[in-house]
Amino acid sequence: MKTIHLFIIFLIVVVAQLFIPTQMILNQESVLKYGTIYKFKTQPMDPSDPFKGKYINLNYEIDTFKTPDSSWQRNETIYVYIETDSLGYSKIDQISRTILDDNKNDYFLAKAGWYSKFDHKLNIKIPFNRFYMEETKAYDAEVVTNRPQNTTDSLLTTYALVYVKEGEAVLNDVLVDGMSIKDFVERESEKH
Amino acid sequence: MNSKIRNDIKELVLEQVISQETASKIETYYESKENDSPNKLFTVFAVLGSILVGLGIILILAHNWDHFSRSIKTFFAFLPLVIAQVVVGYSILKNKSATWKESSGVFLFFAVGSSMALVSQIYNIPGELSSYLLTWVLLCLPLVYLLKSNALAILHIAFSTYYACEYGYFYNSVMGTPWLFVLLIVSILPYYFTLLKIKASSNIVSIFNWLLPLCVIIVLGAFVDDNEFLGFLMYVVLFGVFYNLGMLPYFKNEKLRRNGYLVLGSLGTIFMLILTSFKWFWQDRFNDAVPFNSQEFYISAVLFLSALGILTYGYLKNQHKKVNLFQLVFIIFSILFFLNSIINAFPVIIINLLILVLGVVAIKIGASKLHFGVLNYGLLIISLLIVCRFFDTNMSFVVRGLLFVVVGVGFFFVNYLMLKKQKSIKSFK
Repeated sequence: MKTIHLFIIFLIVVVAQLFIPTQMILNQESVLKYGTIYKFKTQPMDPSDPFKGKYINLNYEIDTFKTPDSSWQRNETIYVYIETDSLGYSKIDQISRTILDDNKNDYFLAKAGWYSKFDHKLNIKIPFNRFYMEETKAYDAEVVTNRPQNTTDSLLTTYALVYVKEGEAVLNDVLVDGMSIKDFVERESEKH
Repeated sequence: MNSKIRNDIKELVLEQVISQETASKIETYYESKENDSPNKLFTVFAVLGSILVGLGIILILAHNWDHFSRSIKTFFAFLPLVIAQVVVGYSILKNKSATWKESSGVFLFFAVGSSMALVSQIYNIPGELSSYLLTWVLLCLPLVYLLKSNALAILHIAFSTYYACEYGYFYNSVMGTPWLFVLLIVSILPYYFTLLKIKASSNIVSIFNWLLPLCVIIVLGAFVDDNEFLGFLMYVVLFGVFYNLGMLPYFKNEKLRRNGYLVLGSLGTIFMLILTSFKWFWQDRFNDAVPFNSQEFYISAVLFLSALGILTYGYLKNQHKKVNLFQLVFIIFSILFFLNSIINAFPVIIINLLILVLGVVAIKIGASKLHFGVLNYGLLIISLLIVCRFFDTNMSFVVRGLLFVVVGVGFFFVNYLMLKKQKSIKSFK
């Protein structure tokens, strides 16, 4: 094959290699720009990924939903419809296997976990459960958010700010005590 | 030129085996050959350097710099990728040396991975490691062919295996079958076949001869779904495929260290046979009907037909029309496997006999080829069989002890005989 032909094929490969990350960015940016913002109460934990670095795993309070339907299979796709409660946090309004035309609330896509026949609750695997942090801060974030505070002796309210648009959800930040978890960890480590 | 060759030439001239004129001709030949071939060592170091730099970039970016804004982080996600693409483009356009192509290709490989990882990190994009690895490997596959790069082909195979293990063995929710691994391996085969054709005797071919079967052996277990018992059959038949591949005329005359198929096929076959030579293995499964309508059965069937095809092809191409027992193990085992539900205990006896005969066959092959390694391998098979029977038979300690003494003496005796034979052949020459 001639060099020029090789080069043309290479250019196609280059476009594909640039297209994938660009597409990833554009998808997320569109949700951040046009999506609706929601607060999800959560509790962080710190694992790491060999290529992407340290992140905190977010365990959400709304990761179960009471339903009499016991036929859910593991890993089945769920449309999770959400609404805001009186305190401003998100709660699940309804779950479904298909898009519901009569429900005007926002929804995001998730996967089904196991169904507990004991208390009739379906476990939901929420997709936006990774929040990447600077490697030195991820573990501290877990520690400080799980530590009872001296003043109130209760755990701090930690919630995730998530933009939701037509099934897509982008995790924008995690807030502790109304402050971004990155700044909160910095402040706490200076204190101690 | 190699200093050993230079010394040898000097010695040959001194001993008047070759003339001074021939000596200088030989020297010029080697020197011209050296000029033609690219500096392999330099290529190896350049590739290693690229791997280290690439991995280093991934690690530095994985630190996740909090003080940078989202747009600066995005810029850094693309920077290594674009630099690597420009360097690779330049190497293709200017048709640079293999060193350039190999090292820039490897750098681009890691840049693709790091850019995707960083974008996922910046936007907290969820996703399994396996799907990330799959996208990464697919985006870099064309580079193997465009750059004709061995290092990229090796990375492709290694990362495809990583993907399949992640998807099939470690997937944290429900394990799936990594069918795409088959596609990934098939997609690299044309490159491998070209190497076999053009660079048959090069070291890189030996590396692939080991790497390919090894990866398939590692991953095959991920294709076992619910019927673990059939998994054993899948592995025995797979080792049959490899052994028969290694016995094809193309590979047969290669040295053992270059013929990964034969060595892995033989070792794997013996390992599986020893494992299935215990009574408990078959007893527990006596009442289980073989699930014919399962993916494990279909995979076993495809592997069986491939092994049979390769065996027949090898037999037809073989001038002596000879087949050794190792080549037929997969057929015997398959028959026993399906007979198990009819006659219990029967497979155990046959498998024990089979291992014994295979040991003898290996000793015979070793003796006829004057190969100490193969000879002792045969003795080792028999010893292993005896050690295993030590645990599950009611033989008296005296008989077991005597058996060990006999095998031990056998080791000395057979090796001694062979050494003598080798010496007599040398002195005859």
